[in-house]
Amino acid sequence: MNREGFTGFSRGEARTRTATSLSFENQGVLEKLMRLPWGFILLIAAMALTGIAMLYSSAHTNPIEAHLWKLQLVRLVICFVMMIGLAMLPLSWWMRLAFPAYAGTLVLLVLVELMGVTGGGAQRWLQVGPVAVQPSEFAKLAVTLALARYYQMILQPQTGRILVHLGALAIILLPAALIFKQPDFGTTLALVASGGVVIFLAGLSVRIITAVIVGGVASVWPVYQFVLAPYQRERVDTFLAQLFGESTNALGESYQIEQGKIAIGAGGFNGRGFLQGIQSQQDYVPEQHTDFILTVIAEEFGFLGSTALLVGFAVLLGWSLYSAARSVSWFGRLASAGAVATVAFYIVFNVGMVLGLLPVVGMPLPLISYGGTAMLTTMACFGLIIAAHMHRDEKLTARGIF
Amino acid sequence: MSKKPADLDHAFTRRAAIAGAAGGLVWAGLIGRLFQLQILDQERYQAQAEANHIKLQLAPPQRGRILDRFGRPLASHRRAGRISIIPEQADNPEETLARIASLIEVPDQRLERIANEVRMSRRRNAGFVPVTVAHELTYEDFARMNVHAAEMPGVNVEMALTRSYPRGRDFAHVLGYVARASQDDLVRLTDDMSDKEAETLKTMFRHPDMRTGRQGMERFAEEWLRGKPGYRKLVTNAHGRVIEEIPDERLAPTPGRDLFVTIDSDLQRVAIERFEGESGAAVVLDVESGDVLAMVSTPAFDPNDFVNGISSADYAELRDNNRSPLYPRAHGGVYPPGSTFKMVVATAALEAGVIKPTDRVHCNSYYHFGNRTWHCWKRGGHGSVNLHTAIKGSCDVYFYEIARRTGVDKIAEVARKFGFGEDWVLGMTGGRGGLVPDREWKQRVRKENWYEGETLNFGIGQGQLGTTPLQLALMTARIASEGKPFTPRMIGIGPNSADDHSLDAPLDAEIMKLMKAGMYGVTSEGGGTAYRSGDLGLGGPRLAGKTGTAQVRRITREERLSGVRSGSEIARELRDHALFVAYAPADNPKYAISVVVEHGEGGSRTAAPVARDILHFALKTDSRRKPTYSQSASLPASMKDEGEPT
Repeated sequence: MNREGFTGFSRGEARTRTATSLSFENQGVLEKLMRLPWGFILLIAAMALTGIAMLYSSAHTNPIEAHLWKLQLVRLVICFVMMIGLAMLPLSWWMRLAFPAYAGTLVLLVLVELMGVTGGGAQRWLQVGPVAVQPSEFAKLAVTLALARYYQMILQPQTGRILVHLGALAIILLPAALIFKQPDFGTTLALVASGGVVIFLAGLSVRIITAVIVGGVASVWPVYQFVLAPYQRERVDTFLAQLFGESTNALGESYQIEQGKIAIGAGGFNGRGFLQGIQSQQDYVPEQHTDFILTVIAEEFGFLGSTALLVGFAVLLGWSLYSAARSVSWFGRLASAGAVATVAFYIVFNVGMVLGLLPVVGMPLPLISYGGTAMLTTMACFGLIIAAHMHRDEKLTARGIF
Repeated sequence: MSKKPADLDHAFTRRAAIAGAAGGLVWAGLIGRLFQLQILDQERYQAQAEANHIKLQLAPPQRGRILDRFGRPLASHRRAGRISIIPEQADNPEETLARIASLIEVPDQRLERIANEVRMSRRRNAGFVPVTVAHELTYEDFARMNVHAAEMPGVNVEMALTRSYPRGRDFAHVLGYVARASQDDLVRLTDDMSDKEAETLKTMFRHPDMRTGRQGMERFAEEWLRGKPGYRKLVTNAHGRVIEEIPDERLAPTPGRDLFVTIDSDLQRVAIERFEGESGAAVVLDVESGDVLAMVSTPAFDPNDFVNGISSADYAELRDNNRSPLYPRAHGGVYPPGSTFKMVVATAALEAGVIKPTDRVHCNSYYHFGNRTWHCWKRGGHGSVNLHTAIKGSCDVYFYEIARRTGVDKIAEVARKFGFGEDWVLGMTGGRGGLVPDREWKQRVRKENWYEGETLNFGIGQGQLGTTPLQLALMTARIASEGKPFTPRMIGIGPNSADDHSLDAPLDAEIMKLMKAGMYGVTSEGGGTAYRSGDLGLGGPRLAGKTGTAQVRRITREERLSGVRSGSEIARELRDHALFVAYAPADNPKYAISVVVEHGEGGSRTAAPVARDILHFALKTDSRRKPTYSQSASLPASMKDEGEPT
């Protein structure tokens, strides 16, 4: 019986251990630490350290960016410790924090609207002392927690009506609207998508899901025509043009995608070796240390390296989803699954964008890309997943808002 | 419709499995795309990556050097640090320039000009052409810029070869100088080219290292010196910064050819120093080979100042300087030859048969012709003179008489046989032919008849007659070699000058011997006008020569009567030019020389000592004057043994 591994406990065992798990909170911190899923945690650490190495590779020739890997390493250590701390937090605490965190995020989003710092054509950042934070990143976790908390509250008395899901939709759309207005199309989409996954898992009826899909497809053109800003529309156009193999202006909007694809393709099967990528080492791909870091991995470690990375993510997320399904409480299940969806959409949007399958939406690759806020969100997501795993046998009762 | 908790649990597990499966599909799609890009299209992208970072850059050829007769460099190259900016690669050229100016000193005025140039090049879509920001960097500036350049996209800091003239002013008027090709230069250089060739040449000249000869031999031998451009294979990053260079012999530029001149740079230096700051010119010829050994015009400018563009203030100073350093006196300065011309007049008279050498003329300092009176320079007159004593004492009255008897056209014809009236290019620019007047010229240009009185002025080298120091040296060499054909040349190995030719119109050797005897008398016999300058100080060889004075203004009758002719009493710029022509050794001529000291007043007093000291040095170093280039040049073996180039 492997307590720490990816398998966790079987359903039957969990049931028999329910009595003891209720007393987890009273156990010593050391014993709790021992019971953490260390294989999972070490995989996270290994992938994050790979990210540091790739960051070094992408920026070491550039005097302005050469030191960034050290900064990122410091952040990684801080976030990693935080993740372990969050992982040991009892689920009941997470539940109590859910609504206040959601409310706080909404306040921050409004503040961004009122006094945010503009960067890259959008008002996304909030200056807090020396650091600039991006509240839209926190919103992903806050919405997940709020949704889980909401369903924990509603599903407990077992009312599976459509009206219930409309409340959940409101929880998603309120921050989504604020983020869309910044404008940050990518984050909005990720937020709505991972929120949608939570609603789906909470038991939304198949008929409605079908209707949403049909409606979604039908609304593509009107959204493109009337909702998107011109620069967003241009990105979609560029994306479509390159997807269908049209030659786009090499120095125009698609330069980044074009150069990224050259770097990836030039990597071949084995890659050119660490620090040997000719595209990566010579600054050909813009934003290579942030959103386009996958191109460095792909060029220097080839198809083997990039596939290994995706497989690593798949193992992390698969185990997490499996663990979520083991959870007894609705809060545990949905919060954990929501966190999985959040990280999964980060990855899909980022990789899809870099590989030229999705429009450029400006989404970092979790654990790998340079950037503090995304690292914080990702690590918090994993902290939540581990916490749900640790307390999967805990039955929770929701009383009131807190 | 409500469900039991167990059903809901199952529903969650089922839906989680569906979500997981959907995720698995998406993952498979992403890996499939990676497979497509990295495995299937690998070759295409690898080729694109190669093409991305390897660039061919036009590489300028290294310009050929100009060397003196001993292979010592007169024009070569010097390595100097240079900063250039490629406008299209700089994120913000104005900011970048400001940044550079904060690191090294760049005058505001220059900074403004560069900013302007950068803007212009962008407007003309020529943003890929580097614009030079600063050159001739000090070592400290070069090191500092090198450290910071990496942070400034589009900025290149490199060592460049700059044209350099190690002898500075010594050869300014012979070599001229190089400069960045202007629009006018490009039009001139591409005149007879096809459009494609012209385009290549224009592109090449945009390179900051490229220079074109603007004056002198640099301009004359442009094609010989220039070479052919090649390419450099460069590995660059996305900002165009060069990471490394891949050597490729096949693409390398073809350097220009070296050019040897016949000049002896030591002799040139000694000659310039001998002028002791006075303005003037001197030309030294090798009587046997026709080599120009020295071609002095002083004061001169420093051609190094022109290589990177001279400031308008500095140029104005040169242009407005009352000593005219830009003026190439030796081959472009036209002076009345004065009495140095008397050998030509005497030769013409003897050829025409109007006098015999022994015929006597009486000089009492006056010569009446028509209703005018001409004067001899010697107050009181020379008394009775024949050809020999007339040359020796430079008797004007004698020459008035024989000139009148000979006639203007005959004198002009003989003058041309000595090389007067012709622009001898010899690989230089800015030369002038001067003027040998005759009846036809007067009729054509002035629309007037020739007056007999003008012939008298002609006879003593005054009037319309204009000659250059180079022509005077040629005349002297022809006399010294007793009329043998004489081919002047200054380019030892290099492009041939189409305009220059042999000076081979026949001159009677017997007449030339008489001239030589007269010139020997000037420096070595009692009554000679330059008696003190005849001894070369070498314990044997003497020089033979002829003095001359070129009037800068007419002497008024009042002055002549009152005797006011002394130089110190009149302004410098109104004083006469002093001339002297000579050859040495007198008994076996090797060197011929002409010297003009501007406003030096008396040929015997100022010009003759200069000529004597130059000849002294020339003879002292005579044994090693064999040019080194003739040994290495591809001459036939039989000629190599003889050594001297012909």
